Amino acid sequence: MNKKRIYPQWFLIVPLALYIIFFLLPSIMGVGYSVTDWNSRSVLTGVHFVGLDNYKEIFLSDKNYLSGIGHTLMFTIVSNIVKLIPALLIAIMLQEGLRGQGFYRTVLYLPSILPFVIIGLIFKSILNYNNGLLNMFFEAVHLDFFKLKWLSDLNVVWKSIIGVDAWRGIGYVMTIFLAGLNTIPKSYYEAAQIDGANFWQRLRYVTLPMLTGSIMINLVFGITYGLKVFDIVYVLTNGGPGHATEVLTTYAFQLYSRGQYGMSTALNTILLIITAVVGVFIVKTLGKQEVQQ
Amino acid sequence: MKKKALSAVLTAAMAVSMTAGMAMNVSAATDEFAGEELSILVSAGWMDDRYKATIDRFEDTYGVTVDLQTIPADQYSDILLSKLATDSCTDVFWIQSNPFAIESQIVDPEKYCIDFTGAEWEAKIPEVRRAACKCNDKLYGMQFWHNSPEYVMLYNKSLFEENGWEVPANYEELKALCAQILDAGITPWFMPGADGWQHQLPFFQIGGIYEEAQPGLYEALNNNTATFADNEKMLEVLNQFKEFSDAGYFGEDWIGTDSTNMANEFADRNCAMALANSSYIKQIKEDTGTEDEFGLFIEPLGDNTWFPSSPAGPTMFGYNGSEHPELVKEWFNFVAQTESLQEILDNSPSYTNIHANDDAVEQHWLPEEEEFMNSIPEEKMAVSVLQNGTKYTNDYWMNFGQDLVSFCLGEMEANDVLANMDTNRAEAAKVAGDPAWN
Repeated sequence: MNKKRIYPQWFLIVPLALYIIFFLLPSIMGVGYSVTDWNSRSVLTGVHFVGLDNYKEIFLSDKNYLSGIGHTLMFTIVSNIVKLIPALLIAIMLQEGLRGQGFYRTVLYLPSILPFVIIGLIFKSILNYNNGLLNMFFEAVHLDFFKLKWLSDLNVVWKSIIGVDAWRGIGYVMTIFLAGLNTIPKSYYEAAQIDGANFWQRLRYVTLPMLTGSIMINLVFGITYGLKVFDIVYVLTNGGPGHATEVLTTYAFQLYSRGQYGMSTALNTILLIITAVVGVFIVKTLGKQEVQQ
Repeated sequence: MKKKALSAVLTAAMAVSMTAGMAMNVSAATDEFAGEELSILVSAGWMDDRYKATIDRFEDTYGVTVDLQTIPADQYSDILLSKLATDSCTDVFWIQSNPFAIESQIVDPEKYCIDFTGAEWEAKIPEVRRAACKCNDKLYGMQFWHNSPEYVMLYNKSLFEENGWEVPANYEELKALCAQILDAGITPWFMPGADGWQHQLPFFQIGGIYEEAQPGLYEALNNNTATFADNEKMLEVLNQFKEFSDAGYFGEDWIGTDSTNMANEFADRNCAMALANSSYIKQIKEDTGTEDEFGLFIEPLGDNTWFPSSPAGPTMFGYNGSEHPELVKEWFNFVAQTESLQEILDNSPSYTNIHANDDAVEQHWLPEEEEFMNSIPEEKMAVSVLQNGTKYTNDYWMNFGQDLVSFCLGEMEANDVLANMDTNRAEAAKVAGDPAWN
């Protein structure tokens, strides 16, 4: 039996060691520090165990940490819906023999390779109320009622962030869907067509069941990305206006910047737990469905 | 005639002997420290080119080398604390000091700082800045920084004169003026809320008026016997700020506007006033080429009449574990000399003056600054701005700014903004182990 193995087990040692040193150990240390008063003065005064005080502060104080957690969950759900559905439809469209599909694929994927800082600078400029491109365009075509305070109106700001995030992320999600679509045998669609299935029926009974793997990958990536979202919020609004777009990571960042490292790691520990639970749940649920099919 | 000749000879002899004495002193100093190295740890922007000439002269005079270690501002504090904690600090280090910073940042000045008590140069530090250099009545730091009017109301004087607008002296006059300016299609008060750190200034720069309304307030806040919450004057100012925000006096979208374009907005006459530094006048003129004239006046929110004195600034300390304590002392003596102070000022293009008790230093005040400074009575400069006169307040500057925006958007109450500051200060005091909070 052992002889049939391509690689011996000791090949695992190096990657496992790297994983433990650079991923597992820091996470465990983070959890450990979350029950201490580690702060910027600890280098002089030492680190002390404080039990669950940091967590009590997060959940029981009248600060906005809970709203940050709420915003994070909302962003995770909405941004995934906004990205996954259009990306799937675009992928199907591009798979259906559209002319110049290679060009469209490239154009749609391009935003994914742009750094967040660049995207933030560009969109902050585009979405500026007074002299941004978008509002100037609406003015030019006499659609002034569309002119909005994209990044400073409480009712609009989340839509702007999620919109920019979707603009950046759809191409990436689409690429994974395209890879999945390529693995579905053409004969399934031909058989479905012979049986008289229309587009939606083919989508419901052929495409979606066969795409479970790609959906799972996109969901796991999308949800973990959503839960630890930071860059796009930081560069566009920095949590504002006021605290309207604060997420878990922006609070963690602020606490860290102020030297409250213990509190910051407590917030990150909460994020770690949520991500781990949600991730395991998705993989188990969708994994089961895949096995059943 | 003979007497005259004799006195001339004696004078010449005296001059020769003094020169010889001085030369001997310098020679002795050179011999004493020759070959030694003085290391200095500093955050970017605090020394830069302005100290270069002084450092060069110091090296030449004493035959030593200066190792200047300039650290990016965002990493500086961590690096300094690590070096102090590991007993590996440079001979000289800097902190951004205020009357509370030595205790809160250096924690144990007796252990880490050279005690300069009794040094002659103490007299050169202005009285208002000495608290930022001292702890428990011992002199540890040296602070020579500029004293230009910081974040006072800057206005387009030409625009005001053309429209017959008068500089307001109190809140009601300011409100009436803003209404007139807005009617003229101009943003009355440019407020760059998107910067995240500027819109707090109108509240904090008028610390004197809070102290005047409740004498002893600063001390009570520092002893934890008073709070920001429920302070009537502060609530009044916050509500006035919101009133201006609601009325559009800060512009249509001040929360989403940053200061990038502020100079152009002034030059294009799209705005009439802003809270800014006096040096900004120079910047507007240089950047835009405008021929408009500008002026300064005291911010009138809360009917304020106080100048925003700010006894804070980068401050230099000697490290107690230095291997060259005498050389460090010589360096401090050297920096405090008139020639050095003049060099530092002359090599600081952004600053028009250096705040030092030394009349021999030639300052470069702008005429607008002089006019403004001369209009302020001395007693109105005696109270510090709120953020630097009270403990732990400045640490939560950005949080206060976010709360202020939330308040203006109707998401928070004014008193909650103040109560949050109390909560945050208590948190910082807890970290610092401040007995007043424990």
